Amino acid sequence: MKKIIITLVLAFALVNAFSQDKFTSAILKGIAMMDSAKNAASNLESANYFERIANAEPAQWLAQYYAGLTLIYVAYDESKDAETRDMIYDKAIAFADKADKLKPGNSDVYALKGYITFMKMAVAPQARAMSMIPVSNAQIEKAIALDPENPRALLMKGQNLFYTPEAFGGGKAKAAEVLKQAAIKFASQKTTGIEPSWGQRRCNSLLEQSK
Amino acid sequence: MKQLCFLLLMLTVLAKAQAQTRISGTVTAAGRPLSGANILLAGTYDGTSADSTGSFSFTSYESGSFAIVFSSLGYNTDSLRVQLNGQPVTLTLRMKEAIVELNAVTINAGTFETGDNRKGAVLTSIDVATTAGAVADVVAALQTLPGTAQAFGENGLFVRGGTGAETQTFFDGMLVKSAFGSQLPDIAGRSRFSPFLFKGTSFSTGGYSAQYGQALSSALLMESKDMPDKTSTEFSILSVGLSAAHTEKWKKSSLVVGGNYYNLAPMYAVVKQNIDWNRSPVEIQGSAQYKLQVGERGMLKVYSQFNRTRADLTTNFGDEQNRADIVNKNNNYYINATYKDETQSGWKVQGGISAYVNDERGKVNNDKYALDNNQYQARFVLSHPILGRNLVRTGIESSFNSHGESWNALGRSFNNHMQAAFAETEWYLGQLFVTRIGVRTENNSIIDKWNLAPRLSFAMKAGKRGQFALAYGSFYQNPDDAYLVQDRNLDYEKAQHFILNYVYQKTGITFRAETYYKKYDNLTKYNSTTYTQGFAVTNYSDLNNGGSGYAKGFDLFFRDKKTIPGGQYWISYSYLDTKRDFRNYPTRAIPPFAAKHSLNIVYKQYVPGLKTEFGTTYTFSSGRTYYNPNNAVFLGNKTKSFNNLSLNISYLTRVFNEFAVLYASATNLPGFSNVYGYNYSADGLKNTAIRPAANRNYFIGLLVTIGDNTFNH
Repeated sequence: MKKIIITLVLAFALVNAFSQDKFTSAILKGIAMMDSAKNAASNLESANYFERIANAEPAQWLAQYYAGLTLIYVAYDESKDAETRDMIYDKAIAFADKADKLKPGNSDVYALKGYITFMKMAVAPQARAMSMIPVSNAQIEKAIALDPENPRALLMKGQNLFYTPEAFGGGKAKAAEVLKQAAIKFASQKTTGIEPSWGQRRCNSLLEQSK
Repeated sequence: MKQLCFLLLMLTVLAKAQAQTRISGTVTAAGRPLSGANILLAGTYDGTSADSTGSFSFTSYESGSFAIVFSSLGYNTDSLRVQLNGQPVTLTLRMKEAIVELNAVTINAGTFETGDNRKGAVLTSIDVATTAGAVADVVAALQTLPGTAQAFGENGLFVRGGTGAETQTFFDGMLVKSAFGSQLPDIAGRSRFSPFLFKGTSFSTGGYSAQYGQALSSALLMESKDMPDKTSTEFSILSVGLSAAHTEKWKKSSLVVGGNYYNLAPMYAVVKQNIDWNRSPVEIQGSAQYKLQVGERGMLKVYSQFNRTRADLTTNFGDEQNRADIVNKNNNYYINATYKDETQSGWKVQGGISAYVNDERGKVNNDKYALDNNQYQARFVLSHPILGRNLVRTGIESSFNSHGESWNALGRSFNNHMQAAFAETEWYLGQLFVTRIGVRTENNSIIDKWNLAPRLSFAMKAGKRGQFALAYGSFYQNPDDAYLVQDRNLDYEKAQHFILNYVYQKTGITFRAETYYKKYDNLTKYNSTTYTQGFAVTNYSDLNNGGSGYAKGFDLFFRDKKTIPGGQYWISYSYLDTKRDFRNYPTRAIPPFAAKHSLNIVYKQYVPGLKTEFGTTYTFSSGRTYYNPNNAVFLGNKTKSFNNLSLNISYLTRVFNEFAVLYASATNLPGFSNVYGYNYSADGLKNTAIRPAANRNYFIGLLVTIGDNTFNH
C-alpha cells in the first residue's frame, strides 16, 4: 500500500515536471516565432499562439507577458486604422495587467506597461500626449526602480525620449545617453530561458538612428 | 515493485492510446473569410490561426469532449463542443462583429462629451484650452459648439433660446451656484474655473439625466482630473497678470496650490476700451486641491478656491445725462469635497459636500448696495450594474441656499432648503438598443411644493457607425433669487425638451445633427413701465408665473481630425426659432439673447518644424432683437449681424531648460464693428449702442512648468 502511495506521488511529480517542461518549451517555441516574425500575418500568428498558452495557463505570468508584448507588434502594422490599433493595445494592456497581478512588482511587466501606454498614446498623439506620456514615463520609472539592471526598462526610457519631441523634453540626444546605458546592460544580461531577454536589436537600431 | 511496473506500463499504454485528431475548417464573418482568427482547444496549447482564406487546420493528441474557442479582434468570441477520437473534425465557424466601445449604442441625445479618453468625446481638454477666441475659458470654448449662442453683454452659457441662468454648472456632480463673477452692466464675465482642472466635460444642450436638476436648458458637467503624475511647479507671465502653482505628489495623495493675480491696467493702456473704466479691474484668485487615493478604487478630492475682484466704471444706461459711477467688489469662496468608491460586489458610491459663499458689494453713484448668496449642498449617489451592462442609479441631495440684497439702509433676504431625490435605470435591449428611464423630484421650502420630472432617452444603432437617439424630459428651476426675495408665492419655472438626434462617428470624423422642440411654462413675469436697465438691486411688482414660450430648431456639427495632417477643424451651425413671454414682456417676442443663425468654424494646425500650433475661429451670428421704445412692435428692431475672427498661436519651447508655451491671441482681428444692442434713455429719445468691451483684444502669455510637461492649474 505504502509503495502504491509513493509510486502515485512519484508519478504525479513526474507528470508535473513533464507539464512544466511542456510550458517552458511552448514559451521557447513562441519566442522563436516572435523573433522570426517578419510581417503582419506572422506577428498575429505569434500573438495568437501566446494568447492560446495564456488561456491554457491562466496562472503563468510569462504567458500573459508575452501575449501582451506580441500584440504590440501586431498593432505596429501601419495599415491598421486607429480604432483597431486602440483595440489591440487595450487587449495588450489587459494581458499586462494580468501579468502584474500574477507577478506583482516585476520590472519587466512595468516596462511592458510603459511600452503599451506609449504606443497607445501614439495612435492619437495630439489628443493623448499631454495625458499619456507622463503615465508611460511613470510606469517605466517604476520598472527602473524595481530593477535598475533591467536593460528593457532603460530601453523603454530611451525609446520614449527618442519619440518625444525636444520641445516636450525628449529628443535623440537625450535618448542616446539612456540607450547607451541600456546597451551596456544588454551586453551583460544573463539570459535565463523563458524570462524576458528581448530588446537588444531594438536598442542597437535606435542607438544607430539617434546618432 | 510489481505494482510500480504495472503503473508505468499503464501510463505508457495510456500515452500510446492517445490518438491524433485533425481539426480543420473555415472561419467567416458576414460571408467573408476572417484571416488571423485564433482557434484553440480550451485548456490546451493546441490551436492555430486562420490563414488569409479563413482556412485553418491543426492536430491534437487530446481525446474526449473539448470546447473549440474561436476569437478575432472586433468579433464576438464564440465556442462549440467537439469530440476528439482520432476521426478528422471539419468545422464551419461563423463569427459576428462585436459591439465594441467605439461603435456601441449609447445615450447621447442632447449631449456633447469633451475629454481625453472618453467615448464619443467631441473636444479634448486641450481643445478647450486652445480654441482661438476662447482664451482658455471653458464656457467660451463651448460657445463654438452648436446649440449655443454667443454671450454678448451677459454672463452665462446661452443654450437653445434659454437665458444664461438656465444653464447650471456641476463640479464633480456638485451644483455650483454661479460659475461666473459679478455681472457688470453689459459686460460678460469669464467663468471662474480653469480648464486645466478638468479631465472631461459633458455639455448637455437638453434632455439631460435625472441626476441633475435646477436647469431649464442645459447642464454643464465638469469632472476634475485624477491624481497628477509628478511633482511640478508652473509659472505664467501674462499680459493681464501673473500666475503660479505648485503640485506636490506623494505616494497616494497630491496637493496643488496655486494663485493668480490679474490686473487689466497695462492692457487697457494699450488697447482702446469701449467701456469707461475709472479703475482697471483687478482679480486675485487662490486655489488648493487635495486628492487622496483610498484603497484600490476609492478617491477623495477636495477643491477650494477664492476669487476677489474689483471693478470701477461709469455707464450711462442709454442716457448721457444720466451717468452712473459703479463700483463692484466681489469675494467668492467655493469648496467641495467628493468621494468615489466601488465595492467588490460592484456597488459604486459617490458622495460630496460643497459650500459656495458669494459676497458682492459696491456703490451706484452714492448709493450703496450689497448682494449675498450662499449655498451649501450634500449629495449621495449609489449605482449598481444588473445583468451585464444594465444599471440602476439612485441618489439624494439636500441643500440650503440664502440670498440677501440691500440698497443703502434697506435690505431683504430669504432662506431656502431644497431636498431632491432621483432614480434612473439604463437598459440595453440586445446590442442595438439602449434606453434610460429616470425620474427626479425636488422640494424647495420657499416654494413649498414637490415637483416630479420624468426623463426618458432612447438610442438605436443605425449601421456600424451611425446612431439615432430620442430624448424627452421635463425640467424645473426656481425663479431667479431676485424675484424670490420679493415674492414668496412664486412657483417652479418649467421646460420640456423633445430631441431627435443622429450621430455618425468614425476615427477622426464626427457628424452630428440634432433637432429639438422646447416648451416653456410658468416663466416669471412682472410689471414694469420702463425698459431701461437697472443695476444690482431692482424692485419688481406683480410677480407671477404667467410666462411661457418655445424654442425649436436644429443643430449641425462636423468635425474632421483626419484629412489634414497635423490639422483639424470643426464647423457648427445652429438654427433657432424662439419666442417667449417673460419678465416684463407685453407679448411673446424673440428675446435679445437669441440669434436665428449661428455659425462657428474652428481650425487648428500644428506645424512641427516651427513647434507651433496656429488656431483660428470664425464666428457669425445673425442680428438680434433690441427694445426700441419708439417702435410700436415690442422688440421689433434687429441689430446687424455679428462677425468675429480670432487667431491664436502657441509656440512650444524651453525656457531655462524647462517646458514652456508662449501663447498669443487676438480676438476680432479684422476689427468688425459689432453692436450687441442699444440702450435707450427713459424718454426714449436717445440711445447708445452696446459694444464689446474692446473692439479688438490681444493677449500674450508665457507658461513655464518645471518638472513636468503638463499643466495642473
